[in-house]
Amino acid sequence: MSARARVRGGRRPQPGVQVGKGVAVAALLAFTLFPTYWMLVSALDAKAGIGTSFVPAEPTLEHFRFVLTDGGFDVFLRNSLVVALATVVASSLLALLASVAVARFRFRFRTQVLMMVLVVQMVPLEALVIPLFVQVRDLNLLGTLTGITIVYIALALPFGIWMLRGFVAAVPVELEEAAYLDGASWGRMFRSILFPLVAPGLVATSIFSFITAWNEFVFAMTLLGGATENYTVAIGLRSFFGQHSNDWGAIMAASTIITVPVMVFFIVVQRRLASGLTAGAVKG
Amino acid sequence: MSSTMPVAAPAGTGPEPGYRGRRPLGRSLISRLRPWMLLTPALLVLAVLLLWPLVRVALFSLQDYGLKEIVSKESNWIGLDNFVEIFTSEQLWQVVLPNTVVFAVLSVACTVVFGTVVAVLLASLGRVWRTVVSSAIMAAWAMPAVTGTYVWVWIFDADRGVFNHVAQTLGLQDAPVNWFTERWSFYAIVLLNVVHHGFPFVAVTVLAGLLSVPNELLEAAEIDGAGPWRRFFSVIVPQLRQIFAVVIILSTIWDFKVFAQVYLMPGGSGTNREVLNLGVWSYTESFGQNRYGFGAAIAVLLTLLLLAITVVYVRTILKEDEL
Repeated sequence: MSARARVRGGRRPQPGVQVGKGVAVAALLAFTLFPTYWMLVSALDAKAGIGTSFVPAEPTLEHFRFVLTDGGFDVFLRNSLVVALATVVASSLLALLASVAVARFRFRFRTQVLMMVLVVQMVPLEALVIPLFVQVRDLNLLGTLTGITIVYIALALPFGIWMLRGFVAAVPVELEEAAYLDGASWGRMFRSILFPLVAPGLVATSIFSFITAWNEFVFAMTLLGGATENYTVAIGLRSFFGQHSNDWGAIMAASTIITVPVMVFFIVVQRRLASGLTAGAVKG
Repeated sequence: MSSTMPVAAPAGTGPEPGYRGRRPLGRSLISRLRPWMLLTPALLVLAVLLLWPLVRVALFSLQDYGLKEIVSKESNWIGLDNFVEIFTSEQLWQVVLPNTVVFAVLSVACTVVFGTVVAVLLASLGRVWRTVVSSAIMAAWAMPAVTGTYVWVWIFDADRGVFNHVAQTLGLQDAPVNWFTERWSFYAIVLLNVVHHGFPFVAVTVLAGLLSVPNELLEAAEIDGAGPWRRFFSVIVPQLRQIFAVVIILSTIWDFKVFAQVYLMPGGSGTNREVLNLGVWSYTESFGQNRYGFGAAIAVLLTLLLLAITVVYVRTILKEDEL
């Protein structure tokens, strides 16, 4: 879309319009970036929470060191990574197979299956957390990473199917037919034609599954309960909140550690975001 | 599966009549089963972990389900008593429903309007600045709800937050204000948080739509004497009707479900009964009071509310293209 950059409303730039636009851009940048900026400043300032200054008054990495050692965040990070990677692998595989089915085949109940995938994404987590808590408890998986990973796979799956479906549908059927004509079996065609062409979509979908698992809060809080050693980063943050005062420097350092990988991922997939989210919903 | 198919198409020849489009008879059963073989694993996971729990939450909502029942796994049916209690409680009408519905309406309005304004701004920028601004927008979007909420809490912190500090320095207030105790200011902060996190999706989606409006249409309108406002509302908006519908409905669904953004704020986890919304109410009744049946009933209400919106959403999509 950027290649088709067009100048609209500014074909004959007027100085007043240009200045107004500049002010708007500056205000927008300030609004969007301030929370991130403030998080970084507090994380890097030894005096965070003591005085207020817009650049670190006493620059230090001490908060990061504390968080990653005494704060126990190294363990939380490892837990989150394990859970998120397991979620990515399992949900991407399941979603890929299912998306090929709905994008490439016409079969009975296809529309109903798609509808269910769509509707199930709208269910509030608060409605699922009660029965799943009971279910996970019955399986004796409360407080374990296994229990929470299973739940995350299910949470990431509908969106994965929905998004990959668009990528699979975008592969020209003619390529598949050419493979058949060349004597390829369906399995061979899937491996050699479909899979490589869908790979970019798979990357995007994986990133979303990763972010789902990395950010999730309600289930982690409920299913992990008191098992501190199995906390993920999203709930590990809470351990820095004191009874009377909060260690804001440490909280912001930990928040930075959680946020950075997600931001990097977002920038990687940024082009696919709009198309992926509305694929099938909107024809651009 | 791969070796069973009698494929004998000579390589390099064009499509033979009767081959292309018509699969050989021996393959028909396999190809009819194949979609289901591909779908089964995913459907199993969805059935066990999403659909069955949904049925169960409905069943719980008709019971007095507490810790005792969880341990003994016995049912304790009480009919619609939970729902009667919800609908006759002051809490629902005075606090929870306004906090949920009014908040959702306000935040959808703010998110969509602000996102659209940003999209229009982005469309008018040159390539470099558009990349800069959209990267900044991505940063706002990427901020996880949990850390984003903590950052806003820190910004508005009563004792040492930067907001109170600046307001005092500017002489707008004499002493630090605790913004989290008052219901309105509490939700104003949630609103700021949700809009900040939600507008990028609107901006990026609407921008994609804006760029797809044929230039000829706009030029024709300009020649006909339509000013920029007129061009926006009479040419662009009708073209993007579908995109706006999707964006509005999705934002509505997301904003009804706001949980972490409320729960993680000071007093948001149930200690301040004034700021409960449906999701948090359901959660605190279940896991705070061990009234899982009552909590489930609230969750069922929230789900039904969202389901109604979803039906509208699905209809909008179906109108656009056959699934």
